[in-house]
Amino acid sequence: MPTIDVDCGELERLLGWSWQGDMEKLDWLLAFVKSEVKLFNEQEGVVSVELKDTGRPDLWSVEGLARTLRGFLNLEKGPRRYEVGEPILEVHVDAQLKAIRPYICCSVVKDVKLTDAVIRGLMHLQDKLDQTYGRSRQKTSIGIYDFNLISPPLSYAVSEPDGVSFVPLGFEEKMSLAEILLRHPKGVEYGHIVKGHSVYPILLDAERKVLSFPPVINSNDLGRVTDETPNVLVEVTGTAHQTVLNTLNLVTLALIDRGGKAYAATVRYPEDKFYAVKRVVTPDFSSRRMDLSVGYANKVLGLQLTAKQMAECLLTAGFGVETVGGDSVSVCVPCYRVDVMHQVDLVEDIAIAYGYNNIEPKWRELPSTGGVRREQRLIDVAREFMVGLGFQEVLNYTLTSPESLFDKMNREKTRIVEVANPKVVTMSCLRSWLLPSLMEFLGSNQSVEFPQKIFELGKVTLLDDTRETKTMDEEWLAAATTHPTASFTEIKSALDAFFMNLGVEWQIKETVHPSFIEGRVGTATVNGVDVGVLGEVNPQVLEAWKLENPVAAFEINVQKIIANKLAK
Amino acid sequence: MVNLRAHELKFLSVLGQLGGKASVEQLISEAELSDAAVMRTALTLQEKELVKIHAEPQVIIKVGAEGEAHAENGLPERRLVKALATSDGEAELDKAISEAGLDPKFKQIALGWILRKNWAVYDSKTNKLRIADHLLHQVAVPEGNDEKLLRYLHGKNPAPLNVLSAELQAAVQTLKKRKLLTTEVKTHRIIEITAAGKKTAKQSHAAAEEVTQLTPELIITGKWRTTKLQKYNIEAPVAKTWPGKKHPYLSFLEEVRAKLVTLGFKEMTGTNVETSFFNFDALYTPQDHPAREENGIYFVKDPAFGDINAYKTAVANVKATHENGWTTGSTGWRYNYSTQEAKRLILRGHGTCLSARTLLSKELEIPSRYFSIARCYRPEVVDKTHLSEFNQVEGIVVDEKLTLRDLLGVLEKFALEIAGADKVRFKPDYFPFTEPSVELSAYKEGYGWIEFGGSGIFRPEVTLPLGVKVPVIAWGLGVDRLFMMRAGVEDIRDIFSQSLDWLRRKEVT
Repeated sequence: MPTIDVDCGELERLLGWSWQGDMEKLDWLLAFVKSEVKLFNEQEGVVSVELKDTGRPDLWSVEGLARTLRGFLNLEKGPRRYEVGEPILEVHVDAQLKAIRPYICCSVVKDVKLTDAVIRGLMHLQDKLDQTYGRSRQKTSIGIYDFNLISPPLSYAVSEPDGVSFVPLGFEEKMSLAEILLRHPKGVEYGHIVKGHSVYPILLDAERKVLSFPPVINSNDLGRVTDETPNVLVEVTGTAHQTVLNTLNLVTLALIDRGGKAYAATVRYPEDKFYAVKRVVTPDFSSRRMDLSVGYANKVLGLQLTAKQMAECLLTAGFGVETVGGDSVSVCVPCYRVDVMHQVDLVEDIAIAYGYNNIEPKWRELPSTGGVRREQRLIDVAREFMVGLGFQEVLNYTLTSPESLFDKMNREKTRIVEVANPKVVTMSCLRSWLLPSLMEFLGSNQSVEFPQKIFELGKVTLLDDTRETKTMDEEWLAAATTHPTASFTEIKSALDAFFMNLGVEWQIKETVHPSFIEGRVGTATVNGVDVGVLGEVNPQVLEAWKLENPVAAFEINVQKIIANKLAK
Repeated sequence: MVNLRAHELKFLSVLGQLGGKASVEQLISEAELSDAAVMRTALTLQEKELVKIHAEPQVIIKVGAEGEAHAENGLPERRLVKALATSDGEAELDKAISEAGLDPKFKQIALGWILRKNWAVYDSKTNKLRIADHLLHQVAVPEGNDEKLLRYLHGKNPAPLNVLSAELQAAVQTLKKRKLLTTEVKTHRIIEITAAGKKTAKQSHAAAEEVTQLTPELIITGKWRTTKLQKYNIEAPVAKTWPGKKHPYLSFLEEVRAKLVTLGFKEMTGTNVETSFFNFDALYTPQDHPAREENGIYFVKDPAFGDINAYKTAVANVKATHENGWTTGSTGWRYNYSTQEAKRLILRGHGTCLSARTLLSKELEIPSRYFSIARCYRPEVVDKTHLSEFNQVEGIVVDEKLTLRDLLGVLEKFALEIAGADKVRFKPDYFPFTEPSVELSAYKEGYGWIEFGGSGIFRPEVTLPLGVKVPVIAWGLGVDRLFMMRAGVEDIRDIFSQSLDWLRRKEVT
C-alpha cells in the first residue's frame, strides 16, 4: 500500500481547515479515505500518510487528498468542476511503437505557481504513480517539461540504441540510448522494460530536440521544471490506454488545483489496425454516469435509507448526483474516481459518509454447526501425548534451505518444492521433513540446561504430480532428545508409548539411513507400511549442526497413521 | 515431643526390645555401643526421665589359675580316685599318684581331700590306699558340688554369685577355702525404661538408625518403624524441572479454534502451495497487480504451473469478469486475462484462497460459516514487525440475506468473544476482493485499542463467477497481535522463537 509524504501546511491551506496540531483529529479525517498517519516529522511539518486503498491514485497527492477530504468536512459538496482548453499541441505516434509502448497522452498547464513545496509534491506524485499505478513504469510513466522550451508538434517515435544522443537528467554529457541503459542509474533500473526491442521509444519536438527516452529518463535541458517555470507540459506513455489517460488526468488535475489552466493535446495514431482510434484528445475530464439502485444499496447495507439520503451521502463523498428517483439515483462518477467499477463501490462510499459507527451491528443466528476435521482432534491428542512424555513443543518455519534438509543431514538431495524468488537462501524451499528444523533448534540452544527434549507436529510439503498444485502437504511428527546419555532405547521407548496410547500396533525393522548411526536406526511400520524412522543421530550430522551431545530422534507420518486409524 | 538424638533413640529402642530392663553389659552387646557410650547415654536419658538406672552391689566369683587348671583336668582327689579304680581298688600311694598323672606337690592335697570326701581309706603302715567300701560297686564316684561349680565357671569366669543355685553358692565357700577362687563385691547397674521413655520411643517410631532414603526394603521389612529418616533442609534450592509443554502460540491458536467452533464455524484446510487462480484471480486481483510481483509473492520454481482443468467454467467466468465484468454489472479490469498465468504455482499469500475454494466447492452449504488457520508466505525481509511466514485466521459467512450490519455483528462478536474486548470501533478498510470493507478495532482495559481484524462483503466480481448468488462475508482476524499482547511479546519473530529457555519459562497466558 502506498505511503505518501504530505506537507502539513500545504494540506491545511488546500483544505481550508486546520487540525491545530491534534494528530488524532487528523487521523479521524484520514480514516474517511482509509488512511492513517504513520509518521510525523514535526521539525519539517511533514506527515507520512499510509493509504490502504491501492485503487485510488487520486489520493496520492496533497491536492487529491484535500479535494476529497473537503467533502467529509462539509466544506465542499459534490465533484469539483475541471475545465480544459482547446488543443494547443499535436503529437504524432510512430507505428513501430505498437509492439513496444503504444500509447501517449499529453496536456499543457499554463500559469501554474510552482513553489518548492508544490514541485516536491508533484515529483512525489509522479513517483508514486510510476511505481504503483504504473507498475514500476512498466504500464505507465510520466514526464514533466518546461513547455516554453519546446517547439510543437511532438513526435513519439523510435530510435536505434545508438541513433540518438542527449543529455539525460542529472548528467552534463550527451549519451546515446544504449549508453544511458548502461551508465545512467535510471537506465540500469528501468532499462529492462525496453531492452528486448531492436529500437527504443523516443519523444522529440519539431526541432528534433529530445524530450525524453520513455520510460527511462527525461532530457536535462527540457525535462526539468523550477519555481520559474510558468507553463508545464505533462506527458504519459504506456501500454494500457485507459491507465495512461487516467494518469495524465491525475497529474493535470493536481496542477489545476494549484491555479493552473489546462490545455488539451491531440494525439494522432498511425494508420494501423492496432490503433482503433486514430485521433485522441487528452486530457479527458468527462465523468461517467452510473445508476444506483436504492433497493440494492439498502440490501447491501441492511438499512432503509431513502434515495435522497443516499444522494446526500454521495455528494459528501465527492460524487455528482444528476437525478434522484424513488428507487434509483443517477450518479456522476468524476474522472479521477478510477476505482469505481460497480454499484457496490458507490454503496461503500454511502456507508462511509453515513458513518460505520452509526450502523448498528447485528449477530445473525444461523443454523450452522461448527466443527473441525476429524484428524484435527487426533492431531491435538498426539501433541498431548508428546507433552505427557516430557517433550517441549516447538514451532519452526516451514521455509528452509536445501542445505539444511540434505547437506547438513548427510543425505543426497531429492526433488523438493523450491522457491523461485527467495529473499534469503535460508528460506528458499519448503521443508520435506521435520528433523532438520529440530536439529537447528537444538543448535541454537547449546547453552541451555540439559536434558533437552523437544517435538514438533507440523506440515511437510512433498511433490506429487497427480495433484492440482503438484504438491501434497502432510502432518508429520518429529521428536528429539539430547543429553550426555541420550540413546536409541530412550527414543524407542517414547515412540512405543506414543503408539500404544494411540492404540496403534507397530513394528520396527532394520534399515540404513545416512542421518543416523548404522545399526542404531530402524524403520517404524504399521500394518506393514513404513510410517517413519527412529534412531541415534549420526555424529557427522551432530557436527554439522554444532551439537555436542548425542541426539536420539524419531520422525513419523502422523497423518498416515491417523488416516489408517480413522479408516478402521 | 522430647527431641532425641539418633543414638539415644536407638538406645531406647533396644532397651524396649530387651523387655524394658537390661544391664549395661546386655546393652553393650545389643546396641553395638561402647561401655562408656552406654553409660553416658543412660545418664542423659535418665536426666530426661526416660530411663532409670538401678545400682546394686554384687558378689563376683573369679577362678584363679590353679582353679582353672583343675577345672580343665579335674580336682586332684578326683584324678586319684580314678587311678585307684583302674588298679583294682587298691594301690600304693606314690604309685597311685603317679598313675593319676599328678604332680607330687599335689600328693598331700589329693590324699587329704580323698579322705575327707570319704572316697578311700589309707593304711599308713603299708602306705597303701584303698577305695572306700561303699564306692566299690558303683560305676563312678558321683560328682560333688565343688566340681559342678568349677565346671560351670569354666568359660564363664568371672561370674556373679547371685545367679548360682544355693548348693553351688555353698560350694563357693569350699573352693574359696581351697584358694581355687576368690570373691569380690562390685556395683551392678540395671537400666530400666520409664513410662515416658516408652512413649517417646513409640512416637519417634523408635528409630535407632538414621537414613536418607526410604527404601522398599525398609517398608517391606517394617524396619521403617525403627529407622530414623534424615531431616531435610526443605529451604535448600532444588534442580529446575522442565516439563513438556505445548507451544504457547499453538495453544493460543487452539483456543481461537475452539471459540470459532463454538460460534458455529467449520474448519477449512488446504495446501501451502496454491495456484494463482485461487490465490488471486478468483479474488478479483488483476494479473498485473503488484501483489503478484516477485516482491509480493513466492513463486514455485519447479514445477512452475499447476492444474486448473477441473474448474473450466469458473476459470472462463473469472476471465470474462477480469476482462469486461462479465454479467456481474462491473466494468472489469479491462485487460487480456491469461489462463496460463492463472496456473502459476505460488506459496499461499493469504488464507482467503481457501474461502474461494470453499465457495466453488459442491459441498458449500448455505447458510454456513467457515474458518481456516492457514500458514501464509510473503517475501518480506524478516524484522521486528514482519515475518516471511505467518499464520492467518480467516473465513466466511454465507447466507441469503447478509448485510453490512451482519458483517459488523460478526466483527463485534469476534472482538467480544475472542479478544475479550470491552468495546469495538469500525473504520473503512480496503481489500481488493471486498466492498464494503471494514477494519475492526477492539478496546481492552490495559491494552488500549488494537486493530483486531479486517473484513468485508465479497465483491460480486468474486462470488458470481464462482457460482455463488448470495452475499458472502469475508473476515480475517489479527490474532498475532492479540497473542503478542497477551504473551507480552514485542518482537513478532518470537512467535517462532528458537529459544528453548523462553519456551520453558513461558507462563500460561
